[in-house]
Amino acid sequence: MSVTLADSNNNEFLRVEGVSKRFGITQALSDVSVSFRSGEVHALMGENGAGKSTLGKAIAGLHKPDTGTIALDGKQLRLGSIDDAFAAGVRIVHQELAQCPNLSVAENLCLHDLPCSKLGTVDFDEMIKRAQDLVHRLDPAIDVRKPLGELSPGKRQICQIAASLEDGARRGGSSPRVIVFDEPTSSLSIAEADRLGEIVRELAEQGLTVIYVSHRMGEIFSCCDRVTVLRDGRFVATNNVSEIDEATLVEQMIGKRIVTPTGKIESETSEAEALQELSGIDSAHAPPGSVVLKAESISSPGTLHKISLEVRAGEVLGVGGLVGAGRSELLAAIFGLDSKATGTVTVGQRSLPMRDVRAAIKAGIGLVPEDRRHEGLFFQLGVDENIVAPRMPALANRKFPFGLRRRQAEMGVVNQRVEKFHVKTASTSSKPGELSGGNQQKLLIARWMGKETKVLLLDEPTRGIDVGTKAEVYKLIRKAVDGGLAVVLVSSEMPELLALSDRIMVLADGVCTGTLEGDEMTQTGVLTLATQESAAAL
Amino acid sequence: MRRLAGAQEAGLVLVIVLIGVILAIRGGTKQKQFRIEVAQSATVVEYYADGTEGEPGARPLPQVAGWNVTTDSGTETYAKNNGYSYNAGQNAVFGRKTVNKFLDQENLVLVAKDASFIAIMAVGMTAVIILAGIDLSVGAIYGLAALIGAFALKNVVGDDAGLLVSVPVGIGVCCLVGAACGAANGAMIVGLRVHPFVITLGTMAAYRGIIFVLSKGQSVGQFPESFTSGFFKAEIAGVYPVPVIVMLLVGAVGVFLLSKTVVGRQVYAVGGNETAAKYAGIPVGRVKIIVYTLLGLLAGLSAAVYLGYLGAAEPNAGMAYELKVIAATVIGGASLMGGRGSAMGAVLGAIVIQLIDNGMIILGVDQAYNQIVMGVAIIIAVVIDQAKTRLAPKG
Repeated sequence: MSVTLADSNNNEFLRVEGVSKRFGITQALSDVSVSFRSGEVHALMGENGAGKSTLGKAIAGLHKPDTGTIALDGKQLRLGSIDDAFAAGVRIVHQELAQCPNLSVAENLCLHDLPCSKLGTVDFDEMIKRAQDLVHRLDPAIDVRKPLGELSPGKRQICQIAASLEDGARRGGSSPRVIVFDEPTSSLSIAEADRLGEIVRELAEQGLTVIYVSHRMGEIFSCCDRVTVLRDGRFVATNNVSEIDEATLVEQMIGKRIVTPTGKIESETSEAEALQELSGIDSAHAPPGSVVLKAESISSPGTLHKISLEVRAGEVLGVGGLVGAGRSELLAAIFGLDSKATGTVTVGQRSLPMRDVRAAIKAGIGLVPEDRRHEGLFFQLGVDENIVAPRMPALANRKFPFGLRRRQAEMGVVNQRVEKFHVKTASTSSKPGELSGGNQQKLLIARWMGKETKVLLLDEPTRGIDVGTKAEVYKLIRKAVDGGLAVVLVSSEMPELLALSDRIMVLADGVCTGTLEGDEMTQTGVLTLATQESAAAL
Repeated sequence: MRRLAGAQEAGLVLVIVLIGVILAIRGGTKQKQFRIEVAQSATVVEYYADGTEGEPGARPLPQVAGWNVTTDSGTETYAKNNGYSYNAGQNAVFGRKTVNKFLDQENLVLVAKDASFIAIMAVGMTAVIILAGIDLSVGAIYGLAALIGAFALKNVVGDDAGLLVSVPVGIGVCCLVGAACGAANGAMIVGLRVHPFVITLGTMAAYRGIIFVLSKGQSVGQFPESFTSGFFKAEIAGVYPVPVIVMLLVGAVGVFLLSKTVVGRQVYAVGGNETAAKYAGIPVGRVKIIVYTLLGLLAGLSAAVYLGYLGAAEPNAGMAYELKVIAATVIGGASLMGGRGSAMGAVLGAIVIQLIDNGMIILGVDQAYNQIVMGVAIIIAVVIDQAKTRLAPKG
């Protein structure tokens, strides 16, 4: 293949050309072309779902792109082949710490290729020597004999980087030449993240190409040379970090922008408006009523730090933030699912005991979880019992031991909710598996669509469902809200968050970085707060 | 699904009928001897074909249609065909007849009785397995409940107690001991958050150990007759139907509890998706403890039936019953992954297990092969179940 050099000062080393990748109905990458140089730290940035992680994994051979080419030093890589990428010197440091915590650091590092003595037993001395050679380049303080699980997340991350630095010669490959870091700091403390930044710079100075997938602004400016922005799976721009400011970067991540006379960047809310129109939402609806849900200084070790919120009847409070900011965790804590949560939750006048789901449900809180397959539906039970599950005890004759079900009352509730929330099902005894994804989601929301629910916590209520159903879900939610329901909405989809919310509270690293109202509710506003590094260390 | 479950149970009935037919045909016949004790004063009277009486004690003629034995308790008439023969010389009448090995009344009663012991526990085990749990200690609970029940009947109730005392006390003590053991299992599984396999493996050994300590290896017997032949082994119309009646009652109550009560449905919900159950506000821990307690209670009830039927508690009673009980529920269609199973299936599964057991005896297979066949049957049942799940249409 012919490599076309874009400009003269470009010592291009790795070239991604026209790469596309589709997962089901989601186009994760479409026709992305990026060029990486040797000796640079090159960041990939974008919102949740922009495709930055997918691109990093495609380079490392973990995902096989549908179309496009990836060439290293002029030589084309076989797509989707980890072995080929490894042999060429491409390594990846994963977002998740996927290691065996019960084994020693040395064993983890040599797991793929344990050194053996002549007798066929493991040669521990050789193994430890090899591991020390790798780890001590980065941090001489790490004892490679220790079980990995006893190390702090930061040290573990360093071990993982060390593993990626291994010379491929023993496995017939090249020494590392490109390293992909996939959200490397997501589980690290600030000090650890700083040390990681230093390591990344050192690696680049040794001539390696470092591809740094992240959504943290601070890190981009402190340790990266160039930054490529992706949006909705498309390439937006590659910038020199020295020539760009935070606002421009945010702008690239979000999309088309207009600059107001005051110089303030205003997001074009047309998409949100289009959504509102499509779902028949009137942004000027009735003013909200009295406060229904009040949560004060909700904390949970490691995830949430003193978050307070209030929601009124007939109001939607949006919760914005990036993946890992603690949005789902906040809903779980309010609902009583988090066994370590502290703080106070009040519904109406009633103060609820924390960590008690049944008390929360009794007080009128409902939760639609993010993952309907694992947290939401009972696939062996029918639509009817899926809907009535939380209500069944209340409807039953409880004088009878174990509670005698009242089928008629149950069916009344089921029919009312199936109808109210337009769940399309052959019969109420059909299994959820027989329903389409959109109808499964509607089924899950319909569970809480009764007078007994005063506050509904929605976690990604339209994940993985088609546009038509989405609009219908928005309309139905808004209708319920106009009927006096209070909603707390967590969504990673910016247009959805902007279209449905009356106010938006933004979280970053488990801390509330601000609440936006009225005209402040823009993508820029949300993203600026979401990428803010929190001062309060957890 | 309800139709599917129905199909599952219809399938089991079919299997049962099939095994029965095979055993009836292939099992062959056997000579069965019988002996009727005749009192000193008895007279044996022959009848001729025309109905007239012959001479007492005289040699019967070929065309004789029957004979009468008159004893102290009355006169009984016996048919004289089917190779009956008799010798009325020694204060007893000996008979010999050819019977089908499987369809013989005694054999069927035996199968029904053994199936009842297993089925009563299998109904409880089904609930545990629907919950995606397991209880390996059922056999030990059964043995312990029987032993303590036997102590109570022997030492507290007394020999000549009436039905109204012995039966409630016997059943009550057995069930109480069983329920307590089951509740301990449940409380530890929930409270200590340890997998039920481990907890019940431990309690299986511990409960069995308690049995040996308490019994000192001796069996405990000598109960009031009102508990044994007066109730659990009462003879009605020539058979002993009480164990089967208890089994059917337990099966019916099991079907009702699992389908018509809130806790019953919560069992399916927790077993199908524990996380979702938590999110729906279902008291997961409480449901689990209730189910393990109920299984213990049913093991106790089964032990009471066993006590009444056999009249003694042996220290190794219920040994290896966990295998049979779990096999019965799995053959009955319960999924070890949780969320699926039925009480009726468990009862039918127990009958299948017992028929296999009985069939091996009837077909003359060495008892040593018993466990091998049982193991293979479990694996086949699970494989069929999984194949069915894979073939089932998914939305």
